[in-house]
Amino acid sequence: MARPASSAGVMTALRFAWRRLRRGWRSGELLILALALVVSVAAAAAVGLFGDRVRRAVQTQSGDAIGADALISSREALPAALLEQLAALPLRRAAVSELASVVLSGEDTLLVSVKAAESGYPLRGALRVADQPYGTARERRDRPPSGEAWADLRVWQELRLQPGATIQLGQSSFRVSGVIEYEPDRGSGFTDLAPRVLIGAEDLPATGLVSVGSRVQYTQLLAGEPGDLAKAEALPLPQGARYLKPDTARPEVGRALSRAGQFLDIAVLAAILLAAAAVALSARQHGQAQRDEVALLKCLGASSRLIGITLLLQLLLLGLIAGVVGAAIGYAGQAVLALLIGQLVDTPLPPPSIQPLLTAGALELMLLLGFALPPVLQARKVAPIRVFQRDDGNTGGALIAGVAVAATVGLLWWQAGDARLALWVLGGTLATCAVLALFALLLVAVLTPLRRAGHTALRFGLGNVARRRGASVAQVVALGVALLALLLLAVVQNDLLDAWKQRIPKDAPNQFLINIQPAQVAPLQAFFARNGIAAPPTWPMARGRLIAVDGKAVTAESFDDPETRRWINREFNMSWIDRFGDDNELIEGRYWAPESKGVPELSVDDYVVERLKVGIGSKLTLAIADREVEMTITSIRKVKWESFKPNFFLVTQPGVLDDASGTVQYLTAFHLPRERRAVLRELIGEFPNVTAIDIEATMNQVRGIVDRIVGAVQFLFAFALAAGACVLLAAIESTRAERVRETALLRTLGARRRTIALGLVTEYAVLGLLAGLVAAAAAQITALVLARQVFDLPYQASPLLWLLGGGGGALLVVALGWWSLRRVLDTPPRVVLAGGR
Amino acid sequence: MSEGSGSVIMEASVRSVVEARGVSKHISSGSGSSAARLTILDGVDLRIGAGERVAIVGSSGSGKTTLLSLLAGLDRPSSGDILLDGQSLSGLDEDARAALRAGRVGFVFQSFQLLGGFTALENVMLPAELAGLPDAADRARAALDRVGLAARLHHYPQQLSGGEQQRVAIARAYSGEPQLLFADEPTGNLDSETGERIVELLFELNRVSGTTLVLVTHDAALAARCDRVLRLRSGRIV
Repeated sequence: MARPASSAGVMTALRFAWRRLRRGWRSGELLILALALVVSVAAAAAVGLFGDRVRRAVQTQSGDAIGADALISSREALPAALLEQLAALPLRRAAVSELASVVLSGEDTLLVSVKAAESGYPLRGALRVADQPYGTARERRDRPPSGEAWADLRVWQELRLQPGATIQLGQSSFRVSGVIEYEPDRGSGFTDLAPRVLIGAEDLPATGLVSVGSRVQYTQLLAGEPGDLAKAEALPLPQGARYLKPDTARPEVGRALSRAGQFLDIAVLAAILLAAAAVALSARQHGQAQRDEVALLKCLGASSRLIGITLLLQLLLLGLIAGVVGAAIGYAGQAVLALLIGQLVDTPLPPPSIQPLLTAGALELMLLLGFALPPVLQARKVAPIRVFQRDDGNTGGALIAGVAVAATVGLLWWQAGDARLALWVLGGTLATCAVLALFALLLVAVLTPLRRAGHTALRFGLGNVARRRGASVAQVVALGVALLALLLLAVVQNDLLDAWKQRIPKDAPNQFLINIQPAQVAPLQAFFARNGIAAPPTWPMARGRLIAVDGKAVTAESFDDPETRRWINREFNMSWIDRFGDDNELIEGRYWAPESKGVPELSVDDYVVERLKVGIGSKLTLAIADREVEMTITSIRKVKWESFKPNFFLVTQPGVLDDASGTVQYLTAFHLPRERRAVLRELIGEFPNVTAIDIEATMNQVRGIVDRIVGAVQFLFAFALAAGACVLLAAIESTRAERVRETALLRTLGARRRTIALGLVTEYAVLGLLAGLVAAAAAQITALVLARQVFDLPYQASPLLWLLGGGGGALLVVALGWWSLRRVLDTPPRVVLAGGR
Repeated sequence: MSEGSGSVIMEASVRSVVEARGVSKHISSGSGSSAARLTILDGVDLRIGAGERVAIVGSSGSGKTTLLSLLAGLDRPSSGDILLDGQSLSGLDEDARAALRAGRVGFVFQSFQLLGGFTALENVMLPAELAGLPDAADRARAALDRVGLAARLHHYPQQLSGGEQQRVAIARAYSGEPQLLFADEPTGNLDSETGERIVELLFELNRVSGTTLVLVTHDAALAARCDRVLRLRSGRIV
């Protein structure tokens, strides 16, 4: 008879693969592998699709923070050539000019920051404008019409404006038609806090405010697709011009975003690692199950090549089906998620893109090739003699493990992007596996003598654990990894996310008062006491310019780095205090002692160290009013800016600057509930020179982002939970066939159903308890490391976790084990022993 | 069932289908220095002619199944050589031996060895498919018809009785029209009545197709129906 030609061989392989797969659905043998693949694709697709949408939404929302997706800003008018190049791109644009000027109203004058915006401003987010002070604000996505101006509350208060009043700006008058309560692109820095007047750009030339030598900040706001924005970013900019994105323009929003990204990455990593473990476990089992058939096919004359192709095709077919199902579930999942989160989010999520689906497909292929194929292909090496001599020995374990570890590293690298995060997760996983294996071996050793005593069921259960040494160890490791992941998810979800949310305390200061004169400090405290507000601490403040580092004169030109140049160009706000609050973390050096009062020591934020390349012992000379002061850096701090408390890059100790400088002012910050905002009006009336800054809106912006991400991360964890359940199931199923045979045998030998059931429960409970306890320990350590090393959050160990791990682990494993074997106890032993499972 | 056996024996003297030359099989038990060498087969010589029906008998552990697996090329002897259809197996790797078996050799096992996920028809189609024959389904249908299972084509093994499963296995063995059929305790898992019917079927098909039949059995009655009985004791033919 003829041998099959090569193409005919592939067709034969395809036929076999398809038949085998069809059988898998029927008998449920391939079901777990398929389930693991479906969950992994569904998780990756949902996580990818939704994560992508959230990222884009968050980017849009943080785009609100600068009123655009990006901006180009310069002290000089942007060259026409650049504007033409921008015009050639499909981007929305709006030009904004900002300058300082004096505004007149009757006899009153006020130095304000005038913003002249083109129609279309703001491109992202909206202004909130009220008709009169403390009136109801409405969202406005435009600047005022020509001839009108909107001004913030301070302008209204200080100029005592009434609705419909007219103000004089340069040579033009404007009717003041609105109170700006919120301006999306308003910075939160102290240098950008002058009262605001907003007019239309077309009204600016007539004011005559822009002339040679006037200090105008010219900004082009940009909004559009990321690709087009990238092209705009690549355009050559004139000297002094900067291209800014939300994360660089608004550091506090940027920090929240990068933290959010880390949480999303953790959720994605957890889901994928778990899915990989489930795929590896079930593929190993699938490979084992194939061995008898491979032996028979070889016996009937099939070549290893044909068998290899059949096994490969079978996996690919399975992958294709699972991939399509998983993608559909993932797509539905992200849609459900969008519905859920849609209520939480005030802006609609952008539509899903195809890219995450392709990524999920590529990921599935990686899972198939890295985790499923090696153990399945091992079956190809089975000798045909197996039809007579059943040999349960495993071959190629080291190779399979090697490929799996390499695939894990690849997955982590690819998915995490962040090498440090990936390494921590990998290190944690490997260490946990090692500890789990060690404990499992110890357990087996301890159980060996125990199995000779006690109740029959107990002996049977413990005996099983001890007898199947290798399988027990492998099972504890797999169960432990799954339980670890579940516990870790619980920890990350509850504790870490809570810790993150609490970083902006509910009573964080939302009102800042600046320009307080030294003589006003005491009356101001009295004002607070009168109004039932706890007197907030006050910080003295003086402005200075950096003129020398270590005795060497410096200017902006002394530094190459543009950010340092810009930073150096500003005046620094310096303060002096006895000691630092918990929103400052000492990184290096020491804080000053009270007795060294007057010694010119300097404490700097680590940003200063980074910009100026200085360290402990460096001397900075600042020009403050009419004197020069040289101060030595004795401590480096890390300021938690998101605490929203007043903080300073440069702080010295009392006695150095306070009596010498005539420019000392004070500032304070306090929390004022929204309903008591009228107090501010009284305060400003009593202390007219004091400037009140409301940062509630900025805080809410950051809080909004945090809430949004917390919701998203919690949903993503649901997929990781499903993947974890798959691992548990796969681990339980890995010894199912053997247990089925043993159970039948024991029943044949006269063991009662109850005895066998108790034995199984004992065995599973012991495995679950052990895996759960080790997983709890590992989860705690991993959470601690994640909190400290990656998220920079405080974290307390929780004893509840141990209870949850041990008790929950035992219960869960018993429940799943029972579910997996429940029918076996009801099946007549004859059926099992005759080979029909 | 002895009609025609004379001519078959005459043919056998002309051409051997399977031949063992000084075949020994040793395995080592234990490991390291405590490893002991166990001899399963010890210098077996035999020649089985085309169309011949040979029974290999012996007590448990005498090496019957090992000899069968070596003759079929499922395993390699420790020494000696096997010739299948005149071709030495000693220089062939596993795939080449499988290629030699494909379409030439059929098997019937004690434990039936049907693929649980394949229907009766699909199980029977296997050898013809592996040999690349275009009419595998037709052959399988005909084979199942011959064993009286025409109504059970699309049943799965677990839906069939033991006797029916073995009939499917026999249909599978004959569907590829092999020159040589190896049967390992074909009635070992069946009750005597069913076993008897299976034996009838096996010999009937053998008679019709003229296939060479090598079977391993404990069953003296079954052995007696063969042209020749090879008795194994402690790895030697006695």
